[in-house]
Amino acid sequence: MKQLLYILVLFIFAGCATTQRAGVELPGEDPSKTVLPEKNTSPAVISLIEKARVATQQGDYQRAEVLLERTVHIEPKNATLWHYLAKLRLHQSRYQDAVGLAQKSSYLAGSNNKLIADNWRIIAHSKQQMGDQAGAVQAQDKARQFSGQR
Amino acid sequence: MARRATKKSKKKRSRRVPRRTSKKKSSRKLPVPGFFRKIPWLKVFAAVTVVFLIYVTYLDFVVRGSFEDSRWQLPAKVYARPLELYQNLRLNADDFERELNLLNYRYAYQPKESGTFQRDGNGFDIVTRAFTFWDINELSQHIHVSFSGDHVSRIKNVRDGKEIALLRLDPVLVGGIYPLKKEDRKLITLKDAPELLPEILVAVEDRKFYKHFGIDPMAIARAFIANIRAGKSVQGGSTITQQLVKNFFLTNERSLWRKFNEIIMAVLLDFHYEKDEIMQAYINEIYLGQDRSHAVHGFGLASQFYFAKPIHQLNLNQLTTLVALIRGPSYYHPENHPKRLLSRRNRILEILLEQKVISPELYAATKSLNINIIKKRHVAVGQHPAFLDLVKRQLREYYPEEKLQSEGLKIFTTMNPVLQLDAEQSTRKRLASLDRQKKLNNKLQAAAVVVNSTSAEVLALVGDRNPRFSGFNRALDASRPIGSLIKPVVYLSALQQHEKHSWSSIVLDKSISIKTKDENIWTPRNYDNTSHGEVTLITAMTKSYNQATVRLGLEIGFPKINQVYKKLGGPEDLPPYPSILLGAQNLSPIEVTQLYQTLAANGFRSPIRAIREVLDVDGQPLRRYPIKVQQSINSDDINLITSGLVQVTKTGTASALSKRLPNIHVAGKTGTTNDTRDSWFAGFSGSHVGVVWLGTDDNQPTQLTGSTGALQLWADIFRHANTESLKIEKSDNIESQWIDSKTGLLSKSSCSGSMQLTFVKGTAPTESANDCPRSGVREQINNTVEWFKQIFR
Repeated sequence: MKQLLYILVLFIFAGCATTQRAGVELPGEDPSKTVLPEKNTSPAVISLIEKARVATQQGDYQRAEVLLERTVHIEPKNATLWHYLAKLRLHQSRYQDAVGLAQKSSYLAGSNNKLIADNWRIIAHSKQQMGDQAGAVQAQDKARQFSGQR
Repeated sequence: MARRATKKSKKKRSRRVPRRTSKKKSSRKLPVPGFFRKIPWLKVFAAVTVVFLIYVTYLDFVVRGSFEDSRWQLPAKVYARPLELYQNLRLNADDFERELNLLNYRYAYQPKESGTFQRDGNGFDIVTRAFTFWDINELSQHIHVSFSGDHVSRIKNVRDGKEIALLRLDPVLVGGIYPLKKEDRKLITLKDAPELLPEILVAVEDRKFYKHFGIDPMAIARAFIANIRAGKSVQGGSTITQQLVKNFFLTNERSLWRKFNEIIMAVLLDFHYEKDEIMQAYINEIYLGQDRSHAVHGFGLASQFYFAKPIHQLNLNQLTTLVALIRGPSYYHPENHPKRLLSRRNRILEILLEQKVISPELYAATKSLNINIIKKRHVAVGQHPAFLDLVKRQLREYYPEEKLQSEGLKIFTTMNPVLQLDAEQSTRKRLASLDRQKKLNNKLQAAAVVVNSTSAEVLALVGDRNPRFSGFNRALDASRPIGSLIKPVVYLSALQQHEKHSWSSIVLDKSISIKTKDENIWTPRNYDNTSHGEVTLITAMTKSYNQATVRLGLEIGFPKINQVYKKLGGPEDLPPYPSILLGAQNLSPIEVTQLYQTLAANGFRSPIRAIREVLDVDGQPLRRYPIKVQQSINSDDINLITSGLVQVTKTGTASALSKRLPNIHVAGKTGTTNDTRDSWFAGFSGSHVGVVWLGTDDNQPTQLTGSTGALQLWADIFRHANTESLKIEKSDNIESQWIDSKTGLLSKSSCSGSMQLTFVKGTAPTESANDCPRSGVREQINNTVEWFKQIFR
């Protein structure tokens, strides 16, 4: 059952992937780069993630937001959940918020370099959208750096 | 009927005219006094009519105003956070039961109806209530929840025995945002009300309601005769419309003049509004009971108050009981006069049977039932004025007061209702005991704020030693010097200079005199009036040495300290005065909370929030207040300061906490201002941040230090908070070391006076302390225990 959910979660937010911009790689466009929930994630949180996925596919970002916020209330130290929230903010075009949440996720990520890399992609994309080209390039470099450290 | 009445009056008038003429003629024969003749009757009549019309217009204005208000005023409802239930949730069975009680869930031998439960030790059998939330609607479910120690161990569906991963209870209604009147309403529309309710009301209170024009002249006449016979007022003869008018103006005066006004207003209401509109207003307005200072108006609120159920779930027995109360909630008081109430309910059932509103079978079945009114009832309104005040202020950024009072918004706040009650109770108890101890004549005041460290959601807020008092909200408005609570800002600014400072660095704790801008000499002293010479940074911080802190602060410089202060969430720039280094800056408890929240969340600042979401009257989403985080300070640097703040609670000025909260690690700082005018404690665990202030409103000395005053209340609150132990996250850049606090050199956990502290890699001392004072047996045991309770992950 859990496995099935993981597969479903693979495509979380895939429905709202935006087009790639020059120089900045987007987080989660390639499903193989999409971060799965951590293995010890509780069934309570998994059930909310699944609902958030459905809400996102339906374009109901606000509902997804409520559901994902509930997940971080339940597991505030689960880095992946903060990452999902950051990604959602990105799709809501709330770039400043996306950066903060991605940083929080990275802080909690420990040695999960794949997750940290994806967080840097979120930051890169957000910075670019906010007109901070230099910051975007720097973040992109960081993303590559962490991608290489698997 | 009305038409006939008009015709009759016309006939009368036509008959009168010739009579008058005849009178005029006869006046020649029977002379009347001259002055009487001189009165211009027509003018007097016209003048009286004009005055009467003006008065009627005035009454019309008044009664329509009241009616419109009652019709449109849907005060915002304020809810606590809903309790999410899932396996391993940190919650004990007793606190869970308290939450159920706050939700007015009722004990039932075999829970079947929604809103009922049964407890068997650590297991609860519950039928939850359905509730509409922003994201998903929760359905009513029959569940079994088991607890083990301080957490939920299992939730399962009683019907199919399957595990339930997650479930949300309905949220506790904390109160409402009302206009000036101190009353609550739970307004319902006629279509929300049970169909039977208007029928019962018409049958019992006013049979001709749908036929009359606001008043029932025959009923008034009957009452008039009955009253004359009895020699006192025994019968009212009021229609539903008249009773509604009476309720608008809330007066028990029984005079003819009032009756006259009431009759005119009732006719006016009937003229302006549909019968159904009047019925709806009546259902919402009628007075049905009292809960201390709160009047219970309307069937919506009364249904919650007496039966802990929404109105549409009431059965005939319950509906007729409420209708029985209309005649006089105190006369028919359920506990004081149960027999009266029962006989009135039975009389109502008889009337319903006579009127063929109910069948004989239903009559018989209902009459045999007891009246089951809940015993411990309360109106959940106005109980947490300080918290509601914060909610209102945060709402006002987007909603004008008028909108809050009238549009029936649903406000979902962040309050943990059980923790809020505990914080209030702890405040009351602790203040009473400190007052006695220090003989402060009840002048000691208090404020307390507890927030979730990650989300910065306010869980509890106290603004007065009497938490029910809704006056000056000290948690938000008492701006007082923060004293040593500023020291972590100074030490963090120093520790950020990795090459220059670490916890092992030496600073001079020696008398210092500084010339201030106004040419005065400022000479700070230590609390113990002693200078301690060369001390380590960690000793200066844990012992809260003033002279060492001033010297360190002057070395770092104001711009740097101000920058850190602002990043932590300081509301305004710090003025560059030396006394600022010892906390001369005034801040309110909630502003201090923001600073410490950033520390508690590893440098991720989140704005302090009391609201999650606002829904409109139909449950449609209006506005969210999302979680926001901003990394304002490097997390590694925060971990440095946090390890020092943990030591403050182990060996420093807040060491009392290691006894008060022996099983968890917390970090914090005491604050005491000149002559003990302010007693502060600010600190955090792994999940909560709390700030407590004690002092007097007229700024008098209290003889309480941060440690003997505020810290005690802080510990009381945190003992109830079911809070997590603080852990310091390791990273690639920092490490933990055991340090001798006197010399700052490397030490061992078994050595007396050693502390475990965080260092940026490469900055910890490399030299070991020569002698390791052997600890006593007790300290050795403590150290072993300490080893089990490692602070570092």
